[in-house]
Amino acid sequence: MNTVDIPRLREIVGEKNIKTDPLDLYAYGADASVYHASPWVIVRPDNTGQVQKLMAYANDAKIPVVPRGGGSGMCGQTVAIQGGILLDMKNMNRILEINMPDVYCRVEPGVVDDDLNAALKPYGVFYPPTPASSRIATIGGEIGNNASGVRSVKYGATRDAVMGMKVVLANGDLVTLGAHTRVEASGYQLHKLIVGSEGTLGVVVEAIIGFVPIPEFRCLGVANFDTLRDAGNAIADIMASGTIPSMLELVDDVAIKAVNKTMNLGLKEVAASLLFEADGKVMEAVEYEVQKMKEICEKNNGADLWYSFDAKEREQIFMGRKKLFPALSQFDTSMASTSLADDMAVPYSKMADMAAKIHEAAEKNGIVMTAYGHCGSGCMHTKIMMDTSKKEQWAGAKRAIAEIYEYVNSIHGTTSAEHGIGISKADAFRTEKMDSLKMMAAVKAALDPNNILNPGKLQQAPEDWVTATDLRYAVNS
Amino acid sequence: MQTEKTKFENLEKWEGMLAKCIRCGYCYEHCPMFKYTRWESDAPRAKNILAHGLLTGEVELTPAVAEKSFNCFFCKRCEAACSSGVKITDIMLDLRRDLVKLGYNGPGTTSITDRSCARCLQCVRACPHDAREFIDGEGIVVDPVKCKSCGICVEICPIEAITIPLSFGTDKVELEQRAVEFLHSRESAKVIMYACNWSYHPDIQNSRLPESELEEKEYEILVNLCGGRIDQNLLLTPFLNQAWGVLVGVCPDGECNHDGNEAAKKRVKRMKETLENLDINPDRIHLVQIPAGDKQLCQAEIDTFMEKINQMGPIR
Repeated sequence: MNTVDIPRLREIVGEKNIKTDPLDLYAYGADASVYHASPWVIVRPDNTGQVQKLMAYANDAKIPVVPRGGGSGMCGQTVAIQGGILLDMKNMNRILEINMPDVYCRVEPGVVDDDLNAALKPYGVFYPPTPASSRIATIGGEIGNNASGVRSVKYGATRDAVMGMKVVLANGDLVTLGAHTRVEASGYQLHKLIVGSEGTLGVVVEAIIGFVPIPEFRCLGVANFDTLRDAGNAIADIMASGTIPSMLELVDDVAIKAVNKTMNLGLKEVAASLLFEADGKVMEAVEYEVQKMKEICEKNNGADLWYSFDAKEREQIFMGRKKLFPALSQFDTSMASTSLADDMAVPYSKMADMAAKIHEAAEKNGIVMTAYGHCGSGCMHTKIMMDTSKKEQWAGAKRAIAEIYEYVNSIHGTTSAEHGIGISKADAFRTEKMDSLKMMAAVKAALDPNNILNPGKLQQAPEDWVTATDLRYAVNS
Repeated sequence: MQTEKTKFENLEKWEGMLAKCIRCGYCYEHCPMFKYTRWESDAPRAKNILAHGLLTGEVELTPAVAEKSFNCFFCKRCEAACSSGVKITDIMLDLRRDLVKLGYNGPGTTSITDRSCARCLQCVRACPHDAREFIDGEGIVVDPVKCKSCGICVEICPIEAITIPLSFGTDKVELEQRAVEFLHSRESAKVIMYACNWSYHPDIQNSRLPESELEEKEYEILVNLCGGRIDQNLLLTPFLNQAWGVLVGVCPDGECNHDGNEAAKKRVKRMKETLENLDINPDRIHLVQIPAGDKQLCQAEIDTFMEKINQMGPIR
């Protein structure tokens, strides 16, 4: 293990922006994944110059550097699996420019998504990728992950919103990528390559991102289904019909029961519910889209159909979906809700089969899994609920996940739609990307020859995701 | 690295709950300590992580770890935001019980009394949490489990013998400084709002706006955590520095954990009288009561006050 020259780091970022106490290192060893590994030191740069100096030092000394935003990643992306310097970007949190005529803003990577949207609101615009974690997720982290959320079906993911960026490379060089324009046809579009690279290719120090008008009208509808198959068919038909939902969410029976059990919301316990929403500037146009989605649900045996423009009524309908996250955490006193195999995407026509496969694999392996998600973008979310103190439960989860990803691969789906690969999904990622692994390794070697930028992630992650680092849970028996 | 395990009798029962914390981090943005330092290790999630580490033996119990566990203002915004229903402050209180048994007494954000104490016992009577007592031979002793860091004792002590060692920006000297800085920073600056963290202000939380956006900024929100900490100096300082008005945000009647809202009401009333005596419109200082977490109402109250203040104009 190479030792870190702490006085040198102190020189670069100043005493108040460095932490070496074991308690800080331990606290920074976790994110929202199942992993834990402490970095050797945490540094918090304040500006691009400091990031350049830090990278130049780390590259010379061959010390791993793990860039970190909000620390809300769910797959271990910002867990320092090989130790090294944890680069906490939360101090570079300035919104630099809101440029209305050119429809973009310039931000530092530590700007929090919700804060950016609060700053954009007075202008009547918003930054659309908005993952569920937007209250703490930073733009830098969202770029690293290519984050998206419930409305990405209409507005796209982070990659679609990013127009350009400034990046500090592994050797400390600063490069400007992309342009201040909506389109760019020339060359390799390297800024788009950085999006989703999980901090393995460079440190983003500034981003140029686009925004869109806040819609004046939103209309949310709901439909219940007696079979997952009917709900799945409705999803595929909606997406094939040319309708443009601003949100299309599936909630399965396990999730509905969990919400009822813990929140007592009295939701109808059907096999599946669909929530569909349209938005826009013209009320009639929005209603037309929603009406069309309602008709498609009806055609596919959807029942209890209902929709509303009213904000309070929409809030009521959406309550069940919103309460899902806490409901799953409180599902059973002996179980914890873990983020594993949690965001695969599959072709629309396979959504129902995917949900059924998830249920089947869970039952077979003695764990509980739900299927819910942003079906409009083909994304299926799951949570694995299990007794995390028991080794056999981890073994069961491992088998179930392998079966699930084998199925995802067989139907030409993708390992991760939103949360990224990190450590926990690397095995499935390698299988899915078998043909392009060499290309990815070549890119990585060209940009980071000493392999110091977030090493041990994506294609480099250990084969066995359970033993990749210490688990954050106490596994006793 | 595994170290020799210390026994945490009270904390032990929370092991299952600590596993339920999904570490989403939704607690951060609400935490006044995180917002002040922006270090994750000061956020509520880190406290859960450390508690887990202490139980498993992965974290060695050091004075620094103990001190961290005595840092909290008990606004409980983290618990309200928790997606998994984790009882963060209850867990921390049990950890504190264990730490006290093991010989650690904080202080962190709990209050301490120095030797200049005149033993008037006003703080003992004023403490809403029964955390202070007078022990013969020892003087005033603070129970760091009972102390909820509301700061009412600090405000009430006539000789300023009480301090909260780690204030995270809520110390009145620092608040006064920040008020003065803002009021002199731009021509548009008119109003200081002191907000308790329960009212949870609507400003941008953890990012910074471009300077061009702030040129016309008329008011600054300073989080003082509890209305019970407001004192006359804090209310008067802005007026001595060209402020047009001062707004104080506290909890509604019966909803303050420390009855700090009642104390704030009295002080605001007294300041209104002082202003009147100086022939200044007493409406230039105004107290609003905002239920926990109601950002919209907070913004509406600010807007209403700003409208009134702009009608009044500067103090002549």
